[in-house]
Amino acid sequence: MDHMSPLERILRAVALALVVLFFMFPIFWIVLMSLQTNETILRSPPSMAFVPTFKNYAAIIAGRLDSNVASMSIQFMGNLMNSVILSVGSVALALVLGVPAAYAFARHKFKGSEDIAFTLLSFRFAPPLLVLLPLTLYFQSLGLANTYVGLIWVYQLICLPLILWIVRGYFEDISPDIEHAYRIAGHGWFATFRKIALPLAGPGIAAAGLLAFIFAWNNFVFALVLASADKQPVTVGALAFVTASGIQYGQIAAAIVMSIAPTLLLALWAQKYLVEGLSLGAVKG
Amino acid sequence: MSRIEIRNLVKSFKEDAVLSGIDLDVPQGSTLVLFGPSGAGKTVLLRCIAGAIEPDSGDVLLGGASVSDVLPEHRGIGMAFQNFALFPHMSAYDNIASPLTARKKTGDQIRKGVEAVARLLKIDHVLDHTPKALSNGQKQRTALARALVSEPKVLLLDDPLRNVDAKLRFEMRLELPRLLSDQGATVIYVTQDYREAMALGDRIAVLDGGHIIQNGTPEEIYRKPATINIAKLFGDPTINLLDVIPVSDASGVHAMLSDRRIQLDPGLAGYAGKECVLGLRPEALSFTDASDGVPVTIEAETPFNEKSVTLVTTLRKREILLSRPSGTPAPESGTVHITIDPSDAVLFDRETGLRIDPNGSNQAAERAA
Amino acid sequence: MSDGLLTLQGINKIYNETSRHPVQAVSDLNLTVAAGEIVALLGSSGCGKTSTLRMIAGFEAVTSGEVLIKGRPVHGLHPAKRNVAMAFEGYSLYPPLSVAENIAFALKSERLDKAEIKAKVTEIAHLLEISDILERSPGSISGGQQQRVSLARALIRKADLHLLDEPMGQLEPQLRALLRGRIKHFIKQRGLTAILVTHDQTEANALADRIAVMEGGFLQQYDTPEHLKDRPANLFTGTFIGEPPMNVFPVQAEVADDLIKLHLEEGVSLSFPAGAFSPRLKDRLLLEKQFMMGVRPHAVKITETGQPAEVFANQWLGDQTHIAAYFAGQTIVSVRHDRARHAPGQNIGIELDAGDLHLFHSDTGAAFSHGGGVE
Repeated sequence: MDHMSPLERILRAVALALVVLFFMFPIFWIVLMSLQTNETILRSPPSMAFVPTFKNYAAIIAGRLDSNVASMSIQFMGNLMNSVILSVGSVALALVLGVPAAYAFARHKFKGSEDIAFTLLSFRFAPPLLVLLPLTLYFQSLGLANTYVGLIWVYQLICLPLILWIVRGYFEDISPDIEHAYRIAGHGWFATFRKIALPLAGPGIAAAGLLAFIFAWNNFVFALVLASADKQPVTVGALAFVTASGIQYGQIAAAIVMSIAPTLLLALWAQKYLVEGLSLGAVKG
Repeated sequence: MSRIEIRNLVKSFKEDAVLSGIDLDVPQGSTLVLFGPSGAGKTVLLRCIAGAIEPDSGDVLLGGASVSDVLPEHRGIGMAFQNFALFPHMSAYDNIASPLTARKKTGDQIRKGVEAVARLLKIDHVLDHTPKALSNGQKQRTALARALVSEPKVLLLDDPLRNVDAKLRFEMRLELPRLLSDQGATVIYVTQDYREAMALGDRIAVLDGGHIIQNGTPEEIYRKPATINIAKLFGDPTINLLDVIPVSDASGVHAMLSDRRIQLDPGLAGYAGKECVLGLRPEALSFTDASDGVPVTIEAETPFNEKSVTLVTTLRKREILLSRPSGTPAPESGTVHITIDPSDAVLFDRETGLRIDPNGSNQAAERAA
Repeated sequence: MSDGLLTLQGINKIYNETSRHPVQAVSDLNLTVAAGEIVALLGSSGCGKTSTLRMIAGFEAVTSGEVLIKGRPVHGLHPAKRNVAMAFEGYSLYPPLSVAENIAFALKSERLDKAEIKAKVTEIAHLLEISDILERSPGSISGGQQQRVSLARALIRKADLHLLDEPMGQLEPQLRALLRGRIKHFIKQRGLTAILVTHDQTEANALADRIAVMEGGFLQQYDTPEHLKDRPANLFTGTFIGEPPMNVFPVQAEVADDLIKLHLEEGVSLSFPAGAFSPRLKDRLLLEKQFMMGVRPHAVKITETGQPAEVFANQWLGDQTHIAAYFAGQTIVSVRHDRARHAPGQNIGIELDAGDLHLFHSDTGAAFSHGGGVE
């Protein structure tokens, strides 16, 4: 049963290649498109042969969208900056609030703790549109509409439950004995949290932070309703490419490449960190 | 001053009572072994003393002062866990040093302290390894070193030898008493291995079902077990337990086995005619050439740790185990006779399972009740 | 040797053979089990004993070598076709069936009538102390009980070979002592051939006619329990078999005409009259110079006149006393069957008989002398 014939091995390699191709092809295609002009993209029949151009990227970075009819200005770089601010800000806030809360939920079972934890999770179940209308009204009267603070606050609906539940699981996986041992050695509870629980749950916290970042980055509807042009992230900003004079495929592709690059790089970097440390074994059986 | 006193300690989880009124007194510098089957509440009791679990009621006193309101980090306890509970992201050195860093020692003091205890436990060559890179035996020694390094006056050892191989377990069993007495600490040692309990304990407290059933010296526990259960837990091969009804007549008190009289202590006359259980240690039985012994048939003989264990059956097909040092001569098969030293026989009340004290004062039974 | 019921010829087992990290679990194993014999595969975890058992049963393919049952190669033969009965460490009982049905299920292929099946189940249940749980379902009984049911299901079958994987690992010590005797009696009475895998030498000694001691995938010694104890083939077997473990000291020999002196460390030396060692051993000692000397704790005598030692532990275990002392720069352990009163700190004398000494090569660990003779 642990032996494989050469045929099986070849079939397995082919199957794996097909799967990779299936998932990677759209990204590959987008990258190709971003290096072409709208004309070469739309020619018929389509062809793989073209002269690569960085005009699309230049246009997006310069903020001027030139089509054959007219030229208009866009704020894609501003959108990108907004995305970074909103995602980083909301993940940071969610970590600051969520990690200690997750620790509390994992270690201290108090009356109603399960109910509170579940209520927090249930925020993820509610359709965003359900809360958006009342939120808009509140935000307007509170002066939070169209502010980073307000958006980061709303983004907690996405980030906080995610981080809370994932990190809680990691804390629960740490043997309480390890923490008891540190307390008995003479360290206070906060030192134990900082020196034992946090480092041991590190990979889990990183994974949760990464996921929350991706969710926050990809969010569309909160920002669409609650933010006006100068605070909009890339997801909303991409709408600008659908112009009266047509859809600028080349620029859209370049914009997509630029907007997925941060999350992709982050994921690649974190992957190394996530795997390492997950297999530390001090507690037997 | 580091006497450990536990007064009427009660702890339940949800509806299940784990400890129902534990009283213990461990004099300074002595070792108490807490012995009992798994799930008896030994570990819970240790955690209550360490402050990792809060008891429902009752009190823990260290050195005469209640520690109920003292946080675990201020109780001055050293503890070794059954699963070692090493900090996986720290080197063995940092693991061992952790009680010293908490006590704000200088770097030099810490280094000296760690190196001294590491040398003592023969792990000075692996101090820069992480727990993952240590063998089980080294992990166990690291955990022990961490418990000892700050020279605590109270040491709680939760089955520290459970997860190491037989050879190392034996070596550590020999070395531990010396180590502990050098420290001068008051020790509570949890184990499920009766040999460890007998070898290490000044006293042994047998915990079962949330109660301490017997608290005595190893000698008392082995020779005068308070209950049938305790008798069964100590000794390998296990004690022989035979249902008997003692008879009292002019020649004294006796029980019948294979139609022969087993002379019992005259003090047991009060139990004549009652249903009892006779406990006979396998090593207290021996073969005899005299025909007035108890006739039995040899069924099988098996070697057992430098002993030979013989399974014999009585006329009524009751199974009895005898053991003797290997190499001593003995009959090999057929019907033979065995003798029983009456001073080694223990009698239990079949209904209550309690030992019957021939001297009348049934202390063990009273204490348990 | 092809007259055995089971023959293993040059068995190798390599896991992940084609990967970057192949693991050799079993190396060049040769073993013969005669009909009616009980053999134990003994070793610590990872020694290759369970892989060996699984290859015999057919759950694992051999990487190279040949398994012969009744002289017939069974390579590629499905486990069910090998006519072996196996008790698994993981119990593997059928949850929907009662305990009795689980046991009787093993008899299905033997086409017995109902009364006969019932009689057999009753008998084996009585033997293994599970009569009172026959109508229960496997999920509602304890781990120790499940293990006995699994054992009953294997033992009740008629098969060429009975394979028992850690058959008593989950049982309480009290029951284990009782069942060891009964199981051995049962197997012998019916003339069954059995191979058991265990890490517990007490169990191996109690049940087996011969024990295969394994370590690191290699067979260290295959012998009777008596020979393993009295004539260990190497230092590994010597220190692995026996509780407490054998005392081992590095030794230098000084051979004179009428006296042989063994020099231990810290100036301790043992003198033996030349007659205590065979002439051939004397010649050998002239060659060996440096070697290891082993002596079992039961053979260490405490006398007034022996070589000086200082007691540091005296542990009474009810039926025996373990005394540990500093001797020749290390620890020596003596076991007494009475209650010896030597207290820690007391000076004692250690005396060893030439007949109790085991001598091993320093480098290879191979034994070259037991009790004054030459291997």
